Amino acid sequence: MAGALKKTPHQLPWILLLAAILIALAAGTWGAVRKIDYAWRWNRVPQYFAYKGEEPVKIPFDGRVEEIAAQGAKASVRLVSEEGKTMTVSVNQDMLRVSEGDDLFMGDTVGFKQEWRLGPLMWGLWTTLWISGVASVLALVIGLLTGLCRISKNLTLRTLTALYIEFIRGTPLLVQIFIAYFFIGTVFNLNRNVAGVGALAIFAGAYVAEIVRAGIQSISRGQMEAARSLGMNGFQAMFHIILPQALKRILPPLAGQFISLIKDSSLVSVIAITDLTKSGREIITSTFATFEVWLTVAAMYLVVTSILSQLVFYLERRFAVSD
Amino acid sequence: MIKATNVVKIFTGRGVPVRAVDGVSAHIGKGEVVVVIGPSGSGKSTFLRCINGLEAFDEGHIFIDGVDLAGRKTDLNALRAEVGMVFQQFNLFPHKTVLENVTLAQRVVRKRSRQDAEIKARTLLKKVGIAEKESEYPSRLSGGQQQRVAIARALAMDPKVMLFDEPTSALDPEMVGEVLDVMKQLAREGMTMCVVTHEMGFAREVADRVLFMDEGKLVEEGTPEHFFTIPTEERTRLFLSQVL
Repeated sequence: MAGALKKTPHQLPWILLLAAILIALAAGTWGAVRKIDYAWRWNRVPQYFAYKGEEPVKIPFDGRVEEIAAQGAKASVRLVSEEGKTMTVSVNQDMLRVSEGDDLFMGDTVGFKQEWRLGPLMWGLWTTLWISGVASVLALVIGLLTGLCRISKNLTLRTLTALYIEFIRGTPLLVQIFIAYFFIGTVFNLNRNVAGVGALAIFAGAYVAEIVRAGIQSISRGQMEAARSLGMNGFQAMFHIILPQALKRILPPLAGQFISLIKDSSLVSVIAITDLTKSGREIITSTFATFEVWLTVAAMYLVVTSILSQLVFYLERRFAVSD
Repeated sequence: MIKATNVVKIFTGRGVPVRAVDGVSAHIGKGEVVVVIGPSGSGKSTFLRCINGLEAFDEGHIFIDGVDLAGRKTDLNALRAEVGMVFQQFNLFPHKTVLENVTLAQRVVRKRSRQDAEIKARTLLKKVGIAEKESEYPSRLSGGQQQRVAIARALAMDPKVMLFDEPTSALDPEMVGEVLDVMKQLAREGMTMCVVTHEMGFAREVADRVLFMDEGKLVEEGTPEHFFTIPTEERTRLFLSQVL
């Protein structure tokens, strides 16, 4: 009855082994850190995600405090200027610095407003995300065009793109960013964001081009022939037949490239763009919580890249309907 | 309808030029069914592919309805729309459903509306006997079904002539019949056809004329009766003795 060749593998021992190895790793790390006597201060980290900021509320004219009305934790203060203009400001009840009837000069502090603000880690994450996002879109456009040029019959286009890809893949991204900012950026008066995004896009574009080229060449010749035999021109055949199939096929390597791009974007911190990495470095200079901050920054990159790879996994399954 | 004069196609593989099609002249009249047979590597498929310009030939001329394929001003795309082609490997578009396979070129090349294209497509799918599979993807179809869709796809362009490049060679034996039946029906309806095949039975039954090619050259040409009973060339006799 049951096939002799098909054995049910025993998973449990391997799960236990896996758990043992993970625990050993964690314990080893913990033990090693204990030895160097590092004082962990994880409690310092959350404030760099979000914090309650206090903002002074000032009177914009010379005037008088007409009325103070309590509204829960807030106090609503009505101010009247010497010319009779009224204005109402809201401050925290416990940070009120005036009382009814006080005369104030322009710029005097009425009280403080407290509200949640995003910390440098979140701003850094945002910068990393938009830089990677814009660079990814540009890289896709550049890669698609140069990938198509790479397999073009035209010698000029083919050679130009081959040179571009060769140059970009043969030099380090860090050097390219320096060139983009200090050389090209100076010549054309580009700001650091344009130089950073541009360098990332051009770098990733070269890799995308090779992925696109390989994807197109992986589609069997018969597809192009069938399309052309129906009277489609080269562009129509490429647009309707070859590219849709190629894009589906290159989705996984393309996603890998974009995940790389997110990680590579940490290099733009060298031209003083405050991305996640640079935010981390800045926080360390003020807290000395080196271990905690770098671990947190790493975890944040990991979250972003994992979400992206899950998304691609989902897309792959959706595209698989015609297989 | 189709007139080929002295067509030469040279492939250069590893520096050695091979004359795949070597001075072939032939003509196919309107409504005629011409079957091209010959051993593997005899250049018959290459010759067929020259007829719709998939293969650029080095010398000679091919006229389709009086238009020279080799002419400098010839719009090859417009010409190809008039010449249907069915491939050995079907070459259906795997990312499109059966219906989309048949409507796509109608809409993109013939600029027909979606509605018109779908009406045409459904009629043709019914004709080749797979109307019920219109929303399937090609990968879900058997080889015979895929090839019939490919025939419908080519017919949807209202071609003046249909080229078949070994349409049954990649099929399992039990599916050959269903594809040949569709082709026979087309022939009966007066479609101009040029068929490269190894199906001698089809050639004998349907062909108006048979061309025999070997080593890039047109060796013998004649009606099936002549060809299968009293071939004049020694090479033809040898070939027939091997395949029949």
